[in-house]
Amino acid sequence: MTISLILNGEDVSAKVRSVDRLADLLRDTFHLIGLRSDCRCGRCGRCLVFLDGRLVPSCIIPAFAARGKEVVTIEGYAQTEDYADVKAGFADAGVSTCGFCEESKIMAAGALLERRPRPTPREILEQMSSAPCRCTDPDAIVKAVLAASDRRARRLYRRAGQ
Amino acid sequence: MLVSDVHFPKDLTEALDILRKRPGTLVYAGGTDILREQASRGLELPAELIYVRDLPELRRAGLTERFLEIGAAVTLSEILELGEAALPPLLAEAIRGVASPTIRNLATIGGNLASRSRFMDSWPALACLDALIELRDQGGATWMNVNRLVGADGRPAFPEGALLTRVRVPIERWDAWLLRKVGLSDYPAPETAVFAFSARAEKGILVEVRIAFAGESALRSQALESSLIGRSLPLSPRESSSIASEYRGLASEFGDNLSLQFGALVDGALGLLSR
Repeated sequence: MTISLILNGEDVSAKVRSVDRLADLLRDTFHLIGLRSDCRCGRCGRCLVFLDGRLVPSCIIPAFAARGKEVVTIEGYAQTEDYADVKAGFADAGVSTCGFCEESKIMAAGALLERRPRPTPREILEQMSSAPCRCTDPDAIVKAVLAASDRRARRLYRRAGQ
Repeated sequence: MLVSDVHFPKDLTEALDILRKRPGTLVYAGGTDILREQASRGLELPAELIYVRDLPELRRAGLTERFLEIGAAVTLSEILELGEAALPPLLAEAIRGVASPTIRNLATIGGNLASRSRFMDSWPALACLDALIELRDQGGATWMNVNRLVGADGRPAFPEGALLTRVRVPIERWDAWLLRKVGLSDYPAPETAVFAFSARAEKGILVEVRIAFAGESALRSQALESSLIGRSLPLSPRESSSIASEYRGLASEFGDNLSLQFGALVDGALGLLSR
């Protein structure tokens, strides 16, 4: 079947079969290699994408389920101000994650701040369970997400004042 | 590699028509239970499936004075976002225990209840809350208590050919409740199970008690619950431990570890009534 979707802001279409995972469609057909399909059970967080604004593991989503939807991968998200806030917030907190999890952690933090602009440490750690990796101390991750929250709040405040 | 025919109905009527004409068609919404153990590159799905995730009739949630009603394709994240004012705390706690937030963005309440592989995390809470589910087919709608999703052997027994459309949770006052996930994994695994407890008292007398425990199979004893009703509070340590011991015995099929933990949780839950 042929599906149409909005991918990183562009209207695209692709031929898919029921056996295809969304993660594989994005990598193989659209060459969006910032995500990987490592665990194929939704746990490792390497394949996170925004699907109609919700952060989801694309490895456990059939490609056909993206029909008519908006998909944003890390390549698209990296062009947003939200991404820049989180990236800068992590730097402010002196947190350096590993190459395995960095992009997923940034997407997870960004998704959380979108819904909870000032999350609690418990909410942060729960959200970060979607991008599990032992490279960074949990306290440091909390600090980094709160720093990102500050960055985001300042940006939105400045924009409101303009 | 089997390539399935995927149907995208535009509304519930069309979905029911497809299910009537093509018995055995897999109903697919979030798919987290269906795909969670498929590690091969290609997905293995049946010859026909119907994608109901976006059906407007299944995507609604609302609160009345008497009950909370949730469409079957509402995701677990969306249910949590209904907020404390709408959501019974027992159910909220159960949903918070499901996997990770990104999985909860996909998983639906319908899929959580319709799983035939095991009882998922929401079942014990919804059983204690006496929730109803609406099942639809071409013949019409039937409301069923979630407790009837347990087969005679204690295993999941979601009816074949039925489409779960809505979950209705009565809004009631509960004086004590407890929900605990037992086992090491946040994800469904043989050694995990969920314990749920709710109780209500009037003038120092226990008037309602519900205790459910479920993993690969489910346990709820109307006889033991009835034996608690009418007792004066607080229960004595002897009464609590005696009931806990009976539950532990009933749960022997869950294995030594889970049955021991179940007994301890019953004891602890009954202890809440003394506070």
